[in-house]
Amino acid sequence: MNGLPLNLRLRRAMLIALLLGLWAPVKIVWEQQIAREQDNLRYHGLVMNRQMRDELGQGLTIGILSGMRSVVADFIWLEVTTAWENQEWFRMGGLVNLCTSLQPRAPVFWDMGGWQLAWNASVGAERDVTQPNELRRLKAARFWIDKGLDVYKRGIENNPEYWRLWSDTGLLYQQRLKDYKNAAYYYQRASELPNAPVYLERFPAIMYGLAGDDQGAYEAWRALWEKLTPAQREMKEHWKEKIESNIRRLEQKLSVPKEKRVFPN
Amino acid sequence: METSTVAAPPLAVETIGLTKRYPLTWKRKVLVALDGLNLQVKQGEVFGLLGPNGSGKSTTLKLLLGLIVATEGEARVFGLPPESLEARRRVGFLPENPYFYAFLNGDETLRFYGKLCGVTGDKLDKRIEELIDLVGLQNGRERPLRSYSKGMLQRIGLAQALIHDPDLLFLDEPTAGVDPLGSAQIRDLILKLKKMGKTVVFSSHLLEQVQEVADRVAIFSLGKKVLEGSLESLLTENQSTQVLIPAEMNPEQQERLRKFIGQTGVNESEIRFTRPHLSLEQLYLRTVQAQPDFVSKDSPRP
Amino acid sequence: MISSLHRILIIARNTLTEAVRQKVLNVLLIFGLVLICSSVTVSQLATPDIDAAGLFSEQIKFVKDFGCGAIGLFGFFIALLSTALLIPQELDKRTIYTILAKPVRRAEFLLGKFVGVVLLLALSVALMSLAFAATLYWQESVGLAAVEANYAQMDLKHTPTAQSMHDHDAAQIIKQVRDPQLVEAVLLIFAKIVMTAAIGLLISTFATSWIFTIITTFMIYLIGHGESLARTFWLSHGAETTIWQSGLIGLIALLIPDMNSFTIVDEILAGNRVPWHDVLNLLCYANVYVIVLLAVSVVIFDYREI
Repeated sequence: MNGLPLNLRLRRAMLIALLLGLWAPVKIVWEQQIAREQDNLRYHGLVMNRQMRDELGQGLTIGILSGMRSVVADFIWLEVTTAWENQEWFRMGGLVNLCTSLQPRAPVFWDMGGWQLAWNASVGAERDVTQPNELRRLKAARFWIDKGLDVYKRGIENNPEYWRLWSDTGLLYQQRLKDYKNAAYYYQRASELPNAPVYLERFPAIMYGLAGDDQGAYEAWRALWEKLTPAQREMKEHWKEKIESNIRRLEQKLSVPKEKRVFPN
Repeated sequence: METSTVAAPPLAVETIGLTKRYPLTWKRKVLVALDGLNLQVKQGEVFGLLGPNGSGKSTTLKLLLGLIVATEGEARVFGLPPESLEARRRVGFLPENPYFYAFLNGDETLRFYGKLCGVTGDKLDKRIEELIDLVGLQNGRERPLRSYSKGMLQRIGLAQALIHDPDLLFLDEPTAGVDPLGSAQIRDLILKLKKMGKTVVFSSHLLEQVQEVADRVAIFSLGKKVLEGSLESLLTENQSTQVLIPAEMNPEQQERLRKFIGQTGVNESEIRFTRPHLSLEQLYLRTVQAQPDFVSKDSPRP
Repeated sequence: MISSLHRILIIARNTLTEAVRQKVLNVLLIFGLVLICSSVTVSQLATPDIDAAGLFSEQIKFVKDFGCGAIGLFGFFIALLSTALLIPQELDKRTIYTILAKPVRRAEFLLGKFVGVVLLLALSVALMSLAFAATLYWQESVGLAAVEANYAQMDLKHTPTAQSMHDHDAAQIIKQVRDPQLVEAVLLIFAKIVMTAAIGLLISTFATSWIFTIITTFMIYLIGHGESLARTFWLSHGAETTIWQSGLIGLIALLIPDMNSFTIVDEILAGNRVPWHDVLNLLCYANVYVIVLLAVSVVIFDYREI
């Protein structure tokens, strides 16, 4: 029961209005500043559209609305695994897209999603005995490889600083598409990123070699050699002997003039 | 008497035209919980607020504690506004049917309230010992309050109200729901407090107990004070005199006595002979306390 | 001032004691701990053994998401329940009368209660974080064992590339598990829970039933995740809508806290770098918001008829 006299009620209302009135503009400005800061981190949050809402259903939508986005994405990811085990490739593709839209800055979804499509789905299509002929099987395989490549590339767009997406794209070009030039490009980019494993630095040169481009391979090995400081050359992981022997071999093969050789003797 | 200005010492409690109204929005009516109360309680008095449920006793106490705000009028406690910390430093309160924190034991409860009032260290330890002794809760110190009986709860309630040694105590229905033995103990406590010089204002609807402890009472009805005065003046029947003779008398003896009194000019036919009754409470207390193994101890609540 | 602080702390301690001795919250906490530890099993469901490094970043993401999700969820429940019951319980048992009849200001009582809840939440989050750390550590040892198994057949000593791959895989797992940014994540989750508690406290200062408090607080929490949308819309399209629409959206933008900015925790868990500067900014925002909520609560409670 409230029997507070009217004048006190008015005073209370005015005090509350004053507090909130002072705070509200500060709040809005501050929140806008936080939003800008998060945009600068390339973190754009999530804008739900109707299609996504339909795909998620009511329960998961509420989960996302209450700030449990990554957990929801993880649960959907479990479905990706199930779809893979059941060889439901189109369903798997849709789920991968959903996960990556939910968490575009979670590289593992792009990474694993691209791999699922470009490798597992495409190999599955190659072995699909329900297809009447080899041509259709290859066509289907190529379809999934392109899908996976697309996932990798969109992943790179969203997470350009994550080396693994670059190197996995390189791997896909190298092993599934036999496109060594592109593979060399992606390995090169991967090796330049922070946290990338050292061994990637040798991959571009090896790719040129696989492409039969001796000149390109030579230039790549040479560039690597020149990039390394004398101290680095002595470190085991840079594998000096391998670089040196390749340069020597290619200098012989391309008959580079002695004065221009790295190893003239 | 009600408008007398007291220079020193200030009154323990003074209200002037104290009124509390609650608007009942949906019924477009106003509930008058307390209507223009003028009340004065002197220091050292035991003052009883009497009246049926909903007559304004609790509202008065809440207003005197600053828990609610008066619609009109004014209340003063030792000349101070009741919501001021200074006033509350001198006031102790036992609410109606208190439960307290069931998860604390008796000791912890008193310690909590003591610290809250700024009593600390050795002083607090000593105070707790005193109070436990005063209210007779030696067996409740280590027990959580959830296992306390009603009477024990009231007594720990009294102890917490006294923890900061206040000069004025407000007790809201201190004996409600307590068995006769327990309520007799509480009554004795109030008398002890009076001897210590405390002012006690309490509300009750159990009239017999009020009669035994209160110096003055005010009777409330429907938010209004309808009667006030000392018990002595309110309860004496001036038209008759009682003589108590601690012996049984046979009819013949009675007749002789009647005649003897008749000689003083009293109309003989109006003299009646009866035997005084024990009150049921007195009987109960005598019986229970006469048990050989009786110690003042409470059984836990079921 | 000092005695005021003293009284706040006494009430806070009492509130914490009450909460700890109450079984409901303990049961909730235990559920939270169990859920965090069981995230390991869920993460095992994710993908059967395929590729060591890929597999483990996926599983580690799971454990992190579930762990932090559980801390957030159970912290939220504990915050909601403990604040919603705070004042109704006091009124019910009439203990509030005994305290407010003592030389204690109402603001001190309310702040003491809130500090008690914050201590309780800190304790719960700390315990759940410990369980989370233990779970992560376990996941790390499983991952490292799998890496060892993966390279067992290779002669690492004589193949520098394999050796380098092995070391890199192991380092990646350790790096993901022992991510110092997880401290940021836990702090942000804690700030969000404390904000929820402050909202609950504010509602409970005028609510007449605890169910109302719980439902309203929950609604504000949900709407808070959409506040950023309301704000951007209101700031950019305010004039194009009817008065009612823009009034309602504006009210959300002006009054409801932005809960969505705390989902930056997801970024941290996904392994993206979030600088301390931004985290501190967000923590400050939460802090100031809590102070404003408390100020409003004190005003309402000061005038409340008890």
